[in-house]
Amino acid sequence: MFRTTLQRTVPCIRLVVAPGQFRLNSNAPAPPSKLEVFIDDKKVLVDPGTTVLQAAALAGVEIPRFCYHERLAVAGNCRMCLVEVERSPKPVAACAMPVMNGWKIKTNSELTRKAREGVMEFLLMNHPLDCPICDQGGECDLQDQSMAFGSDRSRFVDIDYSGKRAVEDKDIGPLVKTIMTRCIHCTRCIRFASEVAGVDDLGTTGRGSDMQVGTYIEKMFLSELSGNVIDLCPVGALTSKPYSFSARPWETRKTDSVDVLDALGSNIVVSTRAGDVMRILPRLNEDINEEWLSDKSRFSYDGLKRQRLITPLVKDNKGNLVPVEWEDALVATSRALINANGNIVGVSGGLSDAESMIALKDLLNRLGSEQLYTEEPFPMTGSGTDFRSSYILNSSISGLEQADLVLLIGTNPRYEAPLLNTRIRKSYVHNDLEIALLGPKVDLSYDYEYLGESPAILKDLAEKRHAFYAKLSKAKRPVIILGAQQFEREDGAILLAQAQQLSQELNKNADKGWKILNVLQQVAGQVAALDLGYKPYNNLPAAKVLYLLGADNESLTKCKPAGTTVIYQGHHGDAGAAIADIVLPGAAYTEKQATYVNTEGRAQQTLMAVQPPGMARSDWKIIRAISEFVGVKLPYDTLNEVRDRLTDVCPSMTRYGDLEPANYLVQASDLAKDLSSQTVSTPLNVKQITLEDFYMTDSISRSSPTMAKCIQAVRKQKESKYYESRA
Amino acid sequence: MAAREASKCATKIVRPLLSSDKSEAKKRVLNLYKTYYRQIPLMLFDRHLPVSKEECQIKLKEEFLKNKHITDVRVIDMLVIKGQMLLQEIVTKWAQDCHIMTLFKDTVEPKPNDFLSKFVNNNDSQ
Amino acid sequence: MAFNLLKQSANTVIRNAVVPSSTSVTRGLFTGAVQLAKEDKGLEQVYTKKESLLLDTNNVIGKTSNTSVQNYIEVDNKVDLSSVTGVPEEHVKTRLVKISKATKNVMQSGTDNTHNWVMEFDNRERWENPLMGWTSTGDPLSNMKIEFAERTDAINFCEKNGWKWYLEAENKTRPIRSKSYANNFSWNKRTRTSTK
Repeated sequence: MFRTTLQRTVPCIRLVVAPGQFRLNSNAPAPPSKLEVFIDDKKVLVDPGTTVLQAAALAGVEIPRFCYHERLAVAGNCRMCLVEVERSPKPVAACAMPVMNGWKIKTNSELTRKAREGVMEFLLMNHPLDCPICDQGGECDLQDQSMAFGSDRSRFVDIDYSGKRAVEDKDIGPLVKTIMTRCIHCTRCIRFASEVAGVDDLGTTGRGSDMQVGTYIEKMFLSELSGNVIDLCPVGALTSKPYSFSARPWETRKTDSVDVLDALGSNIVVSTRAGDVMRILPRLNEDINEEWLSDKSRFSYDGLKRQRLITPLVKDNKGNLVPVEWEDALVATSRALINANGNIVGVSGGLSDAESMIALKDLLNRLGSEQLYTEEPFPMTGSGTDFRSSYILNSSISGLEQADLVLLIGTNPRYEAPLLNTRIRKSYVHNDLEIALLGPKVDLSYDYEYLGESPAILKDLAEKRHAFYAKLSKAKRPVIILGAQQFEREDGAILLAQAQQLSQELNKNADKGWKILNVLQQVAGQVAALDLGYKPYNNLPAAKVLYLLGADNESLTKCKPAGTTVIYQGHHGDAGAAIADIVLPGAAYTEKQATYVNTEGRAQQTLMAVQPPGMARSDWKIIRAISEFVGVKLPYDTLNEVRDRLTDVCPSMTRYGDLEPANYLVQASDLAKDLSSQTVSTPLNVKQITLEDFYMTDSISRSSPTMAKCIQAVRKQKESKYYESRA
Repeated sequence: MAAREASKCATKIVRPLLSSDKSEAKKRVLNLYKTYYRQIPLMLFDRHLPVSKEECQIKLKEEFLKNKHITDVRVIDMLVIKGQMLLQEIVTKWAQDCHIMTLFKDTVEPKPNDFLSKFVNNNDSQ
Repeated sequence: MAFNLLKQSANTVIRNAVVPSSTSVTRGLFTGAVQLAKEDKGLEQVYTKKESLLLDTNNVIGKTSNTSVQNYIEVDNKVDLSSVTGVPEEHVKTRLVKISKATKNVMQSGTDNTHNWVMEFDNRERWENPLMGWTSTGDPLSNMKIEFAERTDAINFCEKNGWKWYLEAENKTRPIRSKSYANNFSWNKRTRTSTK
């Protein structure tokens, strides 16, 4: 690794080193833990094993690259990062070469620039000149770098003889469009598929100018993370199919926001043009989504334009919903609320934001009702929702990277929270993480120890009877992830109690302060609702008025109680609106500035990228307006005032971006002690088992045509003769 | 919300624009006010404005009182300077009748201020 | 010319107006109205009063001989310029400014434009103009996106202009993970690559 001057001058000394001297060497002072390198004559101290490219980044020098990507393995095949190292005969590939002590690296020398220019020339020789019709135009690494490092003129005159290389396009699904002629063979997509997504579908065939990136056989690249290869592709070979030819990056406005289609709250950038959402891209956040985004979050934005409620609707004498003005709808709503005489039930849905939930709670409380429920169930026995630690992902998403054993109970994180699954996979690949699964057998994109699907195994584990317990108890940083959908079962409380008991057992041997028990929520609104004091519903009491705040749950809407006035407030005409007597159009997550708390208890806010369509309004404003009509005016007029109220109720909810950890795991477990001894026999089940279950889970993705196409594609793939089930 | 870092210290030493203290600034303001006040009849004589002298005087007072909360000497000075500029424009007729009438906003429909009418009429702005 | 003469006399008036303790006796108006008014006896009294009438900015900004200008004065640290900036009142009181540091665009590998703190206003309605299909907006501040080297600069700027602001925390950077080409071929690790 490091060369001493002695070794250099006397090379043969290595041959005469006796074993004893080795030991002597190990007793000698350790080599300096930091290496000293010079980037363009600027001294940097780096750890051993750092590559030239990383060292240059520390010095603030960015070396151009195509194949190298921070989050993927080193490939070293584009050669764009060649730099000159003093006393080295040839330029070295900065992305793959570890630095050595005292190296003098020149990132802007004549040789380096010449090397880059040569690489650019070779790349452009076989790259089509179709930038004006290429979707990558304006955000293309090849464009940028040919401007910065390429030659100012072309020597390519071979048009008549052999011409440019041309490659047939491939059909790899409804999301990713391929124009393979543009491919520069950086292999980023291949590495992403096999390392991060865990789908070994992509690869290369052929050599030299016959090399092609493809799927070997005719099949689609179907993964819940396939959209990320569009971001990774440094050229326009892989572009977004729904977005194709629709906008240019310089004409769109970017609004930072947060995704609400799963419980992770991935950070996103919403690109808009003239009041239309053009596309959604991931936004870098090391704590949550790194720089990936699941396909549902990325592509279901076209669902925001369909099935929308754009005007208030009230049922007329004939029982038909007719569009009315806001005044009429508010009068009708307030009349229903006043007549109910306090007998009102409010149910908040999975996409509801914290502002509207606190407003609804304040309104119903003022009207004399305490019956506020969330759509998603949670056991109220034991400590119920009193301790925050019982319903959040305590060890945090990025904390999973420190874990050494993960036990998944009744969950399929690959489809419930794809980016949580990539974290587990990342640890699986790089930290040799061990994973065990209790529940139906599913393809998690990595190997795991399958424990079975009987919930009795959990009891055995908690009572230290199961064989796997030995392994669990040895783990220093074990993690138990319990899927929140198991609470829909009658015996969900028992499962939670047993998981709590197991985690308390494991706590004895685990690192101090390490939190073991995690609950993976399914929807974005649940943690905020429970934080604000909404109760999970188990059995809905009969009421005169049922106020649905975006609640579309099947069990809730399939049987409309007679004699109940149903008010639905939400953005999509889904199941909830279908049974409603009064419909109030709200705003979707791209259309309001609103607070969401993700499954690990981190408050984040969405920003308004576009205006709500038609007569739709921000949700808290609708409730605030109703309150004035009812005669119990809520004391807030602006968003800031609502947030002050939120802060009063739950201070962590307005500390955006901060993780709010929870505690009292021991107490929660103690309170549920009498439950854990009960036995459950119905096998565990999860809702999302295969990829086609993943695409449509909420009112937005259900109305998205792109998601429908994805499901079709998966079904078509299943009929293909090359299809093999991995589960 | 993040902590307000900016307003930690109480005062700072700066270069003044015109006035060295509040009493001097006050004198300037009063002086400007008087000058305007006396200019009103001339202005009305000069132009065909659909307002009376009294209305102008009320408007003048209103415009001055709009900034009565300001305590920063430099801001007061700057407002005096801007007032002088406007006065000059009025006197020299660089400002035309329509420009003066914008102060009265007689063609502007007042925007609703209460929550409900904003909710019902406007599109969803903050 | 007559105009110059008028201006001269006006300047004296202005000086008198600026220096409050002035006692000089001058009259000076140089508009057409005054010339007309000369004939009008009724208005005679108005402009023959020994009062100052006109002011000129040249005379007031830093050019007076007032000694107090050289000295420094003490003011409140919190400066509110919103009354002199000319920004309409509704765009001071109702706007919310976001101060944040841009994250890297995931579509590109470059990191330019991510080193500054940016202030942006909340989004307002935009629509497609029916004439050309361009985007229209009624929001005068929609394009005001200012970059600052330090976040305190951005905060001070917002405070000075009277805008409500909030700060978005800077994105965490992760520690450098040592990467090695050899990992692709390690025989006992899961980093070994399969397809290529």
